Amino acid sequence: MYRDFGTVFFAVIMGIVMVSIPLIISWLIAPSNKTKDKLDTYECGEEAEGSAWLQFNIRFYIIALIFLIFDVEVVFLFPWAVVFKEMGLIALIEMGIFLLILCAGLAYVWVKSDLEWVRRRIKYGGGRYKPLSASSED
Amino acid sequence: MDSINSYLFISSMLFCLGLFGVITRRNAIAVLMGVELILNAANINFVAFSKFNGMNIDGHIFSLMVIVLAAAEAAVALAIIINIYNNMNTINIDDAAELKR
Amino acid sequence: MTNLQSLEFFIPELILTITILAALITDLFVKKSKTNMIGWVLGVGLVVVGLSVHNLSSAPPTTLFLDMIVIDPFSSFMKIVIILSTLLVIVASWVNDELEKYRKGEYFTIMGIMVMGLFLMTSSVDIIMLYISIEVVSIMSFVLAAYLKLDTRSNEAGLKYVIYGAFSSGVMLFGLSIVYGLAGSTNYFAIQDTLSSLDGSANPALIMALLMIFAGFGYKISSVPFHFWTPDVYEGSPSTITAYLSVAPKAAGFAMIIRFFHQVFSDSIGLTSNSIGSTDLPWPEIIGVLAVVTMTMGNLVAIQQKSIKRMLAYSSIAHAGYMMLALPVLSMEAVESIMIYLFIYVFMNLGAFFIVIFVKNKTGGESFEDFEGLGWKMPIVGAFMTLFMLSLTGLPPTAGFVGKLYIFKTLVGAGSEFLWLVIAGGVNSVISLYYYFHVVKVMFLGGKRSDVITYPPSTMFGLMIFTAVPSLILGLYWNPLASWVKDSLVFYNQVM
Repeated sequence: MYRDFGTVFFAVIMGIVMVSIPLIISWLIAPSNKTKDKLDTYECGEEAEGSAWLQFNIRFYIIALIFLIFDVEVVFLFPWAVVFKEMGLIALIEMGIFLLILCAGLAYVWVKSDLEWVRRRIKYGGGRYKPLSASSED
Repeated sequence: MDSINSYLFISSMLFCLGLFGVITRRNAIAVLMGVELILNAANINFVAFSKFNGMNIDGHIFSLMVIVLAAAEAAVALAIIINIYNNMNTINIDDAAELKR
Repeated sequence: MTNLQSLEFFIPELILTITILAALITDLFVKKSKTNMIGWVLGVGLVVVGLSVHNLSSAPPTTLFLDMIVIDPFSSFMKIVIILSTLLVIVASWVNDELEKYRKGEYFTIMGIMVMGLFLMTSSVDIIMLYISIEVVSIMSFVLAAYLKLDTRSNEAGLKYVIYGAFSSGVMLFGLSIVYGLAGSTNYFAIQDTLSSLDGSANPALIMALLMIFAGFGYKISSVPFHFWTPDVYEGSPSTITAYLSVAPKAAGFAMIIRFFHQVFSDSIGLTSNSIGSTDLPWPEIIGVLAVVTMTMGNLVAIQQKSIKRMLAYSSIAHAGYMMLALPVLSMEAVESIMIYLFIYVFMNLGAFFIVIFVKNKTGGESFEDFEGLGWKMPIVGAFMTLFMLSLTGLPPTAGFVGKLYIFKTLVGAGSEFLWLVIAGGVNSVISLYYYFHVVKVMFLGGKRSDVITYPPSTMFGLMIFTAVPSLILGLYWNPLASWVKDSLVFYNQVM
């Protein structure tokens, strides 16, 4: 066992050495001429603007939450697939009902316009959304 | 290395890390991450027990269920945190102290 | 019983599932002003569910879905208690002005899903099912507590609930995983069988696991030291949800605890000191101390409150303590007394919360100042509130007295080692008299008398009648309840 780990250890050491040697060489022989443009973040030639730590649009989170739920429900398909051959038709019907309920959830999200990037109107706008909320709610 | 003890050791480490995170962190999302660590510690336990002690695969099924429930819980918690952020502009759990302690 | 045969006994839950889906789909087609209709959908569905639960309550006790859940008269009783409280809360939600700004479709749908979880909590005999049902109930209550999206207090209640709830269920899950490792099975009966034959070498692990599991249970019934979420969540949530959280999950939580202790950790006689595996911890004493601390803490802190809603939150902690008094005995009489107390508690506590909702609709607040002179401004409401306060204190001739009577009778009958619990319970009842009567005093002696008398609107009045009548009648004539509870005292029990 120690022999196996020895191989891994040797590979790690070699990896570090092989990467650091060119870095050290370039650090030794390259001319150092630091200007502001050179130290700036490379953004395909554009001038970099603002901080990278900006707030993402909150819609990303909503979509991610919806995706997360439907994504994880798929995990129930794996044990089902294992016993599918033994169970036969009943298993198919059971999973059909399960997926139908999931579809009902998807339809709900869809009709509530949570899948659209720009919502038609923000129904309960409060806080940051107050200016966006429609004046007449349905 | 093939004994159950190493798995139990890992899971108890994870549990303690999660506990530490929940107790010390003030950021709501970090607290949630601590809770996820606790749940995953239990998952490791279930799978390890099922593999080593096991005459049955109940443990595997349990861990699948836990994964799904943890996702649902995280979704609800994140939705509440987003809502708090919209209303109060903070996700620090100490700042959300309007109700009397 | 195999999966397909079980479906026949699972009809209530199947109807409930269809009701939830119907409520979800109806919500897509109604306008915001009409969302009370979804409450009707759920209410009618729940009535049908209740009838089918009643139908099945005489069926022989058996396990369903390969020993996942059981159906027995005990679970049927608890299910009917849950349905009753849910129906009352649905009606109250129609007239709760806090919810007016929001669509109520999701509110009612989520409530339906919560009932599903509560049903499973009352009947699960497998730790997988136990954990799933607790989580279903918890996740739904997080959403409901944070339902008032624009109200920062409700947001905060939701956040605190999520953090405490997720944490304690995580700790409980870790405990369950250790129990699974020790017993090699997730089934209650198999766990009991293995744990009773364990030698002493596994004791530390078993004790740790049990303490962790009790963290989850204690969180569900808000017992000390897992009660910290209760006052904040109860104060911040919409009042109807506060009322609901204080009865239904608590009833299901007690059902779950009773079933767990009864079927995993006791012989048929009771929870005796040496019956939990081979651990030599004095469990009855530990639970007894927790019960006493719970109710004393609840009562002492309730005295200092300025908001009636928060005062009722602490009082609900105290009531959990009263019910926990009977847990260390865990004989059939103890379970009977807990069931009777729960049934009575549903009516008196919901009634008190409904009056808080009504006063908040009228005056916009829920503090003691808003109740000043209420007895003169709204005499009917004042009289009802007095009745509920009397009943919560446990004075005759109200129903609360009968509940306490049964608890204390059990403790006295169980022997002299439980006598200190009786004394602690008695002292606590006296303490609670102080703050319950403070409400009555404020209502009738405080404030100015006014000539304009306000009467509650008919829906609210109906709700008050419906909760006040049992709170009074059951104090005078409780034989039907007692015999119903006695008939329901049948557990499914399996000897491996």
